[in-house]
Amino acid sequence: MTDHVRRVAAGRQVSVGQEVPPVELTPDAITLLRFGAVTRNAHRIHYDTAFARSEGLAVPVVMAQLHGCLFHRAAARFAGAGGLVREVGWQNRAPASVGDRLVVSGTVRSVDPAGGEITLDLIEHCGPGNAVCCRGHAVVVVG
Amino acid sequence: MGTTAALELVEERARKSIGSWERRSLGVVRAEDAAEFARAAGESAPQLVDPGHAGFAVHPMYVVSVLRGAPGADPAEFRPDGMYRDEVPGTDGLDVRLMAGGQNVRWTGEVRPGDRIELRRALTSVERKGSGEGFLLLTVEKSYTAARGTLVEVTERFIVR
Repeated sequence: MTDHVRRVAAGRQVSVGQEVPPVELTPDAITLLRFGAVTRNAHRIHYDTAFARSEGLAVPVVMAQLHGCLFHRAAARFAGAGGLVREVGWQNRAPASVGDRLVVSGTVRSVDPAGGEITLDLIEHCGPGNAVCCRGHAVVVVG
Repeated sequence: MGTTAALELVEERARKSIGSWERRSLGVVRAEDAAEFARAAGESAPQLVDPGHAGFAVHPMYVVSVLRGAPGADPAEFRPDGMYRDEVPGTDGLDVRLMAGGQNVRWTGEVRPGDRIELRRALTSVERKGSGEGFLLLTVEKSYTAARGTLVEVTERFIVR
């Protein structure tokens, strides 16, 4: 076993550069309304097209926390059953429009065999042009 | 007031408030609300969307995504753009554009149904970015605590233009 390949859980090996399976979500106007309601987020850029345009946006845009949920989902699925997500971070690079298909994917950045923590580099692409809308990372312990 | 003057005022106000901690109650976590959140976020795993599931867990992103606890805010607490007047430090009453810049969320414990969550937050950094009048990048540190201690820590960034 090399420094870059570590057995971090029974029956599972994780290596630096290993793919993080992609997860996706296509939030439409209904999704944004529901998510805004349950989080009590009334910022008009998420549902008011005329207001969004006045702010320089083409259409309403996806909430930051919804991006965060997709990053978390990618990390949690990589961690697997019994795994743990200890940290998720993301930076917004470009707004994602309502109706855009969002896909979070990534690779393993590092493996800490002593603590069992795995750091993932994650990236979110959005829309028909596959633009980068967020970059992020996660720290997980696999199950 | 023009945008440049408004940004300068935001910067002045924000710098004065650096390090000032404030508290906000998010109330008691209800399993049904957390499940509704998970559904709205597109989750389908029974342990996240079914409060009656034996292994039900509060979605880890739930409390850090909720901007206010029940019963919500009064009309006077909102800016014309729909944001809360006190959500982005220094911007109350000013015609500036607000955008999320990103977050770093660190879990130190598990949020459970029945937890009464208190949010503590403080502005820790104000940076002027970009060319020309540019924009402000505000960094806010937040912690979410229950009776048994801090459960989540967040670093959040806001862009003010």
